[in-house]
Amino acid sequence: MALLRRIGNLFRRSRLDGEIDAELRAHIEMRIEDNIAAGMTPQEARRDALVRFGNPSTTKERAVAADASLALDNLWRDIRYALRQLRKSPIFAATTVLTLALGIGATTAIFSAMNAVLLRLLPAANPKQLFFLHLPDDQPYGAHSTGDSETSFSLPVFRVLRQDRRAFSEVMAFAPLGGSKVAVRFGDGLPEQAAADMVSGNFFSGLGVAAATGRMLSMADEDANAPAAVLSYAYWTSRFSGNQNVVGQTMSVKGIPFTIVGVAAEGFPGLEQEGPTDLWIPLQRRAELVPWGNSSDQTLYGSPDWWCLRLLARLAPGVSAQQAVAEANASFQAEAYARIAAPNAAHPRISLSAVAAKGMMGLGDFNEYGQRIRIMMALVTLVLVIACSNVAMLIVARNAARQREFSLRMALGAARHTLLRQLLAESGILVVLGAMAGWLFALAATRALATWAELEMSLGPDWKVLLFTGTVSVIAALVFALAPMRSATNAPVTFALRTWAVTGHRSKRGGSTVLTVQVALCFTLLTAAGLLLRTLLNYEHTNLGMQTRGLLVFGITPQKEITDATRLRFYQTLLQRMRALPGVEGATFVGARLGSGWSSNDEPTVDGLTYSFSQVPLRTNVVGPDYLRVLGIPLLEGRDIRESDTATSQHVVVLNETFVKRLLPNKNPIGHQLGELKDHYTIVGVAKNSKYRSVDEAPRAMAYYPYTQNDDSRSTLQVELRTNGNPMAMLPTVERAVHELDPDLPLEKPMTQIAVFEDSYSQQRLFSRLAMFFALLAALLVGIGLYGTLSYRIGRRTAEIGIRMALGAQRRQVLSMILRESFQIAGAGIAGGIPLALIAGHVMGSILYELKPDDKLSLAAALVGIVGVSLVASFNPVRRASRIDPATALRSE
Amino acid sequence: MARNDLQGSLDLLVLKTLAQRNKLHGYGIVLHIQRASDEMLQVEEGSIYPALHRMEQSGWISSEWALTETNRKAKYYRLTSAGRKQLHEAEEGFEQLVKGVRAMLRYA
Repeated sequence: MALLRRIGNLFRRSRLDGEIDAELRAHIEMRIEDNIAAGMTPQEARRDALVRFGNPSTTKERAVAADASLALDNLWRDIRYALRQLRKSPIFAATTVLTLALGIGATTAIFSAMNAVLLRLLPAANPKQLFFLHLPDDQPYGAHSTGDSETSFSLPVFRVLRQDRRAFSEVMAFAPLGGSKVAVRFGDGLPEQAAADMVSGNFFSGLGVAAATGRMLSMADEDANAPAAVLSYAYWTSRFSGNQNVVGQTMSVKGIPFTIVGVAAEGFPGLEQEGPTDLWIPLQRRAELVPWGNSSDQTLYGSPDWWCLRLLARLAPGVSAQQAVAEANASFQAEAYARIAAPNAAHPRISLSAVAAKGMMGLGDFNEYGQRIRIMMALVTLVLVIACSNVAMLIVARNAARQREFSLRMALGAARHTLLRQLLAESGILVVLGAMAGWLFALAATRALATWAELEMSLGPDWKVLLFTGTVSVIAALVFALAPMRSATNAPVTFALRTWAVTGHRSKRGGSTVLTVQVALCFTLLTAAGLLLRTLLNYEHTNLGMQTRGLLVFGITPQKEITDATRLRFYQTLLQRMRALPGVEGATFVGARLGSGWSSNDEPTVDGLTYSFSQVPLRTNVVGPDYLRVLGIPLLEGRDIRESDTATSQHVVVLNETFVKRLLPNKNPIGHQLGELKDHYTIVGVAKNSKYRSVDEAPRAMAYYPYTQNDDSRSTLQVELRTNGNPMAMLPTVERAVHELDPDLPLEKPMTQIAVFEDSYSQQRLFSRLAMFFALLAALLVGIGLYGTLSYRIGRRTAEIGIRMALGAQRRQVLSMILRESFQIAGAGIAGGIPLALIAGHVMGSILYELKPDDKLSLAAALVGIVGVSLVASFNPVRRASRIDPATALRSE
Repeated sequence: MARNDLQGSLDLLVLKTLAQRNKLHGYGIVLHIQRASDEMLQVEEGSIYPALHRMEQSGWISSEWALTETNRKAKYYRLTSAGRKQLHEAEEGFEQLVKGVRAMLRYA
């Protein structure tokens, strides 16, 4: 293209200068040669040549100007002309820009979320070398673990892996100090909450994260388990306004004094996916500061078989991740089985794997999240395709309508490429405006997305996203440039000046194809949205197996009661106080909060026979008296846990029906024994199945132990209150009662039990809402496209319709002719959309809940949606066609 | 309509020259114009280059570097199809101009 070449010339100025110089020099030298051949002396020949040539530098300047400045001049003229044209049709311009902004904006927003979740590298040195270490088969049999079983390692294993530098040049360990934030205190201030991690001494040096001020933690800090803390830059600026004097001051973490030694470099938020980390301390020996914060009998250094540390490894130079894992596995396995039973057939040997440290992957169960985001990306891409094809159709239609103008201008001597350049400038301006508006839209959308998804991380666009948006826009601009080129260059000068009722039929088939594809894509989106909406409804209507309405739940961690006996006494008193409150119908405890994603797991031993976890995964929970009655879980046989089940009475357990069906079928389970011989529990009751970790879990064997007889996670218990009104309204009363018992004791995360379960599928809710938004957007765009095309065609066919009516066609026949056109498009689109929708459903299979990928209801709803859109879009054009007056229509041509 | 000014005339001469020859460098075009017009049209030789570059940017002519008969590197110009069309229009325009001027002279 001449335009592009000219713009290019601007950037190749120096090379062009050289070329022009050479060209002019060649001219003068050839003239000199000819002059000498004609008999002049060299001096005369030279002077004559220069005189004939004129001023070489002026000539050169003018030639350069012809090459370059002309380009800017033309470009500017094209842009001004295009703006003038667009101003003449503001509705067209606004529709185009808005459509593009929605398409590009939505795509950019989802891409930036995908970028943050799946692609973004850690803000560290050489982040591509960093890998999270994983245990695909969980911990070795016999080990204890806390945290996510796939990512928890023991301290001895960590040390062995770190020592062997052949595979990994660095292995760094980290673990949160608590399931959520922990209590910290600065100077004499009030206690506050902060997200804290304990990390190995090489954590910052291995990552390559420097200090913004002060110093970072070192191996010496780890060896001494030093009371040193490093703050994150964000925490330092938000909590201390970046005050330099903070370094050197003391603070307390869970009551233990620490010295703040430094602040980490800006932009390093730590490695926890739940949110940014506020401060880091070295690995600690003391019982108050243990990973995950909730183990009463394990300490990091005192429990070599406690798997609780997450590991991040940096590959040694020139080693691939596969080689490194293979290299490290032998020493890993030797250490993993050093103090526990060797692997056997039932419990095969476990091995290491490495997952690239990208986005939020590699930690926890974010794989499903990644899958959902990929599906959203695919859906939003369909929206973008619909939006872009809509804009392309709009531009083609507009240019078709301007064919007379083009023909006229060409007849008056305008070059074809001038016209094309101007059309290109128009498309370019539309795309640039659309992309800019889309970018702003995406900025707002990602912020909203992060809030809805309850992610405390930045989903904000970075340069990669900018590149993505740029690429999408350039592709869009090229598509739109090609569209007008066809219609404009095909404008036949001679024909177009005649009456133009004959033109435009050629593009009809093309327009219908685009519309059909759009309908097919829209159908797919509607089906996908239907599937996700039905999934959400299934979540909402799942029978939880209990009466959640009226239940209030909050956590309590006794601070002053250190011994088991005092703690039990505290809990008993608390329960009595709670029961006595007006409006409270029942109160009990539960160890792991229902619906929170946490669970305790074990391998069942029934009457002395142990089943492996892979055979019968057993879930356990510790509960308070009247647990089943207070939660409204039906009792099938035997009795509930009672007040009389104390630490000294016979150890008892209540099971659920799945347990009985799997391990004690066709027997009366009451009286059988659960657990090892020396520490067994007598089965006293059987309850109906109910949900534990989340709404979507399959029923599993379950054992309820009295909290008095099982010390598992007794340091924190969840209080479940059955109220006879709005549970949250009870909160002040409950708070007062707890404070009477211990004024320093906060209620941890007080919520209704309904809200806890609802939060367990908040992601699903977010994604189904997003899908619905995309589907509505697609339906709107398709509707606009269909409406525009039909109106345009009826406009073009006014004369034809007039003739038909003059020849005796009934109004009804004309209407059905137009409706038929609309429904032909819809029908073809649906026919093409059904296989697409089935494929989409299949791809989405893993994120559907209690729904088949070919769910008939979702397909039917999509069908109704498309028919509805077609009807609405045809309504106005059809009405206009029905009002055509044959006489006027014929006269107008 | 072609522009009927001096620049337009120079364009016409250059295009016409290139239409008769396959390819020619700037100096060759100047020589051809001078010879063909019996030395009547004397232009400052350098002024042909801005015109050549402008016409190249307009897509009427294309250029390439090649060796002359005396083994000198020179930039050769060639007529494009757009240039041929332009020449046709320019010739017509010029004929119109000449006719117009003649008619004026006859009746003046």
